[in-house]
Amino acid sequence: MDTLRELLVGREISELSRVTHLLDEPEQLAAAVGDVLPSAAASASHAQLGEAFAPVVERAVRRSIQKNPRTLTDILYPVFLPAIRKSIGEKIDQTFQSLNESLRHIFTWHGLKWRLEAWRTGTSFSEVVLKHSLAYQVEHVFLINRNSGLLITHVAADNATSEDPQLISSMLSAIQDFVKDSFNEKEQSGLDTIRFGELRLWSEVGPFATLVAVIRGNPPEELHEIIRDVLLRIHDQSSEALEQFDGDSSQLTGVEAQLRTCVELKHEDSNEGFPWLVVAAVLLVLVPAGGWFFLSWQAGQRWQAYVSRLETQPGIIVAEHQMRGGQFYIAGLRDPLATDPQSLLSGTQVDPARVHSQWQFYQSLEPEFVLKRLTASLAPPDTVRLSIVNGRIVAEGEAPDTWIDRARAAAQQLSAGGPEFDISKVRDVSPEARAAEHWQAYVSRLGTQPGIIVAEQKIRDGQFYVAGLRDPLAADPQALLSGTEVDPARVHSQWQFYQSLEPEFVVKRLTASLAPPDTVRLSIVNDRIVAEGEASDTWISRAQAAAQQLSAGGPVFDISRVRDVSPEAREAERWQAYVSRLETQPGIIVSEQKIRGGQFYIAGLRDPLGADPQSLLSGAQIDPARVHSQWQFYQSLEPEFVVKRLTASLYPPDTVRFSIVNNRIVAEGEAPDTWIDKARAAARQLSAGGPEFDISKVRDVSPEARAAEHWQYYVSRLEAQPGIIVAQQTERGGHFYISGLRDPLAADPQALLSGTEVDPARVHSQWQFYQSLDPKFVVKRLTASLTPPKSVQVSIVQGRIVVVGEAPAAWITRAQAASEQLSADGVVLDVSQLRELNLAELNYLREAIQTTDIFFSSGKVVPGPEQVPVLDRLADQIKEFAQNARKSGVTARFMLTGHSDATGRETANASISAARAETVRALLNKRGVPPELLLVRGAGTFEPLVPENIQTGSSTNRRVSVTVNLD
Amino acid sequence: MLQKKICMLGGFAVGKTSLVRRFVQSIFSETYLTTVGVKIDKKSVVLPDKTVDLILWDLAGEDDIGSFRVSYVRGATGLVLVVDGTRAATLAVALTLRERVEAEFGPMPFVLLFNKSDLADRWAIPDSDIDGLRQLGWQIYLTSALSGECVDDAFRQLASMVTE
Repeated sequence: MDTLRELLVGREISELSRVTHLLDEPEQLAAAVGDVLPSAAASASHAQLGEAFAPVVERAVRRSIQKNPRTLTDILYPVFLPAIRKSIGEKIDQTFQSLNESLRHIFTWHGLKWRLEAWRTGTSFSEVVLKHSLAYQVEHVFLINRNSGLLITHVAADNATSEDPQLISSMLSAIQDFVKDSFNEKEQSGLDTIRFGELRLWSEVGPFATLVAVIRGNPPEELHEIIRDVLLRIHDQSSEALEQFDGDSSQLTGVEAQLRTCVELKHEDSNEGFPWLVVAAVLLVLVPAGGWFFLSWQAGQRWQAYVSRLETQPGIIVAEHQMRGGQFYIAGLRDPLATDPQSLLSGTQVDPARVHSQWQFYQSLEPEFVLKRLTASLAPPDTVRLSIVNGRIVAEGEAPDTWIDRARAAAQQLSAGGPEFDISKVRDVSPEARAAEHWQAYVSRLGTQPGIIVAEQKIRDGQFYVAGLRDPLAADPQALLSGTEVDPARVHSQWQFYQSLEPEFVVKRLTASLAPPDTVRLSIVNDRIVAEGEASDTWISRAQAAAQQLSAGGPVFDISRVRDVSPEAREAERWQAYVSRLETQPGIIVSEQKIRGGQFYIAGLRDPLGADPQSLLSGAQIDPARVHSQWQFYQSLEPEFVVKRLTASLYPPDTVRFSIVNNRIVAEGEAPDTWIDKARAAARQLSAGGPEFDISKVRDVSPEARAAEHWQYYVSRLEAQPGIIVAQQTERGGHFYISGLRDPLAADPQALLSGTEVDPARVHSQWQFYQSLDPKFVVKRLTASLTPPKSVQVSIVQGRIVVVGEAPAAWITRAQAASEQLSADGVVLDVSQLRELNLAELNYLREAIQTTDIFFSSGKVVPGPEQVPVLDRLADQIKEFAQNARKSGVTARFMLTGHSDATGRETANASISAARAETVRALLNKRGVPPELLLVRGAGTFEPLVPENIQTGSSTNRRVSVTVNLD
Repeated sequence: MLQKKICMLGGFAVGKTSLVRRFVQSIFSETYLTTVGVKIDKKSVVLPDKTVDLILWDLAGEDDIGSFRVSYVRGATGLVLVVDGTRAATLAVALTLRERVEAEFGPMPFVLLFNKSDLADRWAIPDSDIDGLRQLGWQIYLTSALSGECVDDAFRQLASMVTE
């Protein structure tokens, strides 16, 4: 049986015993229940679980507090503290509000009235004040979702208006965010109060929604609590709907009734009758008393103002002052140089008759008074200036030693108690010192003179000594003396003549010794002396001798460019030039010519109407007395001579014009028939051997025919005008009628009338405007509307308008747009050849120019021959840059700045630097750079390329640099 | 009353303000943008079954993305990204702004507007780029504040996306 039971339910029995064991052992049971307790609590019904747990939790909390209150206080501290802080803050605000209101109303008419009411009703004054002054009305209430700023509900008072509440609520939360972000505020509460004049926005922040009340007037602080209560109630009622709010406010309809209670809040001040009688009685007593008090108070105020003004005056010390029985008494010390106290009285409105003063004189030691006294006693010369610096009196300038001695005595006197008198900055100018200065100026001037070398100079016993070398052609040292204020009688000079080898002196000497003829020009090129022109062989050989002499140490004298012209050779040359000129003259035929024994012979034929050989002689530089001519007259049949003869014999009218066309003489124009007959006879005469005379183009003119002709000419001229289309024209009864179309940009038909001899009074025109699509007019319109830059050329090629050149990208875009528009009208505007303006290359070139320097040897203003390639390249770059800049519509200018090294005197360095820049300008100009593009300045030593103490410094700093400016 | 908060995002001068100016209801002046950094407008969209009020937060456009106030986007349910079609760089700005917003608040529906479509000659964004973005399933509109082209369509599309 046991075995059978074991087989049937054995597994269940062992399971049952395990469970029984589990229930009996408390430790195991606790472990098992602990495993399932959290999930059991989560799945239990919330209401029942809450009810079941409530008594247990309450007991547990009570027990915990009894055991140790600190634990729970620490836990709740972060929750309570902000709430307590806020509550206390509001209580303090309430107290202040009531205090403020009480103070504000104490001395007003309302105040009196309300004191009476407080006394009558037995309540406190501040309560009465609050009751009357806090008139307010809640006009709007917004309930706003805290997360998205979306409006949940809005309620407004009956008489209140506002803009769209949805937008306002979003903007309000944006402003909250803005304040929070801007000032880095971490507080969760948000904006509390916004005040704008009569309006206040009070907001209360809940976990899911913010309530904003818009209040007009002066609300009591308790209103905060009322609003907070409403917000709490709303959260209690619809906490879940608020948390899940996604913009759909239909879930929260019950909220509106709660908000409505806020809007009904208001308090209005009652208006009682105004007790005029009481006011009048009080005023009757108060006005005279107030007036008396005011006047005596004002007199005292004015007196105090006067006394304090006196006290601030330098040199016045007020010892005592008082006001007694409407009289004013004052006593003290004053410096005689200080302002008169009596004069200060005017303008203060204090009655002078009531002021009794007692002043004793004393000497003030304030610096400004001491300065006045010093100026009076020392009488400083004009070159000395006295001033006050930090309480010290400072004298500056120049004065003779006698004055300085007197000033020093005064300074010693002052040192006892007075301000310091500093005369250390006054320079002693005794005559000797001055003379020495002038002398030094003179010597340095000599040092800068070319051709003068000062070897030594000194001053001894008031005498000046100078010795050195001078070129006889250099400036006279004696003459330089005038204007320097150095007494010439005290100057002892010892000059030895020497021959300066500076090119400019050598040129002077060569000019004096060689006496070059007018045809020879001497100049200095790169320190070489160059002679150019023509001279006789005798002069050239003399010049060669001088050049050889110079070659020892002096500059090169280059005479290779002087041509040899001995007198005979020159005369023969001139004669040949004269003869060949005669041979080219029409109407002159030279048959023979020769030179023999210094005489000139010529023979030939000439037309009387041709040029006179004798008159041609003048200007040929040939002596007429030595010319022997033999001319025979003939009638030239060359057309131009025939025309002259015809003109002389036929007298053609002004309307006829003669011309020569392919050796034929053609007469054109209009003439009366009589003249035409004469011309025809002449033509017949000429036909034998002479040139043809064609008079077929001379028209016979009767007045009517002529007028009609003129009109036809005018019409054909109009028809040939682009932009004018003649539709109809007739002539009727001596009047002319014309009508058609014209482009506004075409020539004015009326203006074309002038010069046609058509009488304008007889012309009747009727023109209608149209827009010609003739390329010429399209170009005119485009030029007016697009204003192409200078670098762009617009031209017409075979009926197409072609735009070529460089332009800014924006302009190209506009041109392309115009091209598209025009293509619709069948006009071709080709912009394919426009290139975008490229400034990169220009910048590269500018960089190249600005990094170029021209270097000089010490003391030289002309660059050495090794700089020639640099100058050549610089000139090419400048020219290219200027041309490209001009294409782009800007003008480039180049500033040449000369520099010098730091050795030698500054004035000399400044002039040498400017001279270097000038030289480079001349050299660039010689290489074809227009001088108006080059500006010049000398920087002296002030802009060195490298510091002077470096070994190579001075040679690097002797240079001319270039900067590019665009305008 | 069904409302949704929508943020307009885009770089400097892409035309967000002009886009909304003619198509929305507004009570605030444009100076709010420069002072507070945000301006709020409302656009009512009538869908077949309901009417949605889109509350549009127009955030001050800045190319300096660092100064962008992400906090203004809190609680938004959709974005309008605006790009200036004549300045390619503004596309990158709009996409970066969207990434920052999604990093902070998670993914949300958006429409991408390429504005200034009236300036065809200065258009700087290749069609292939736009097609590539469309391939991602993005809602893209070429708009013009000048002509009003597609602006209403874009708002309608966004309204139906945020109410789904």
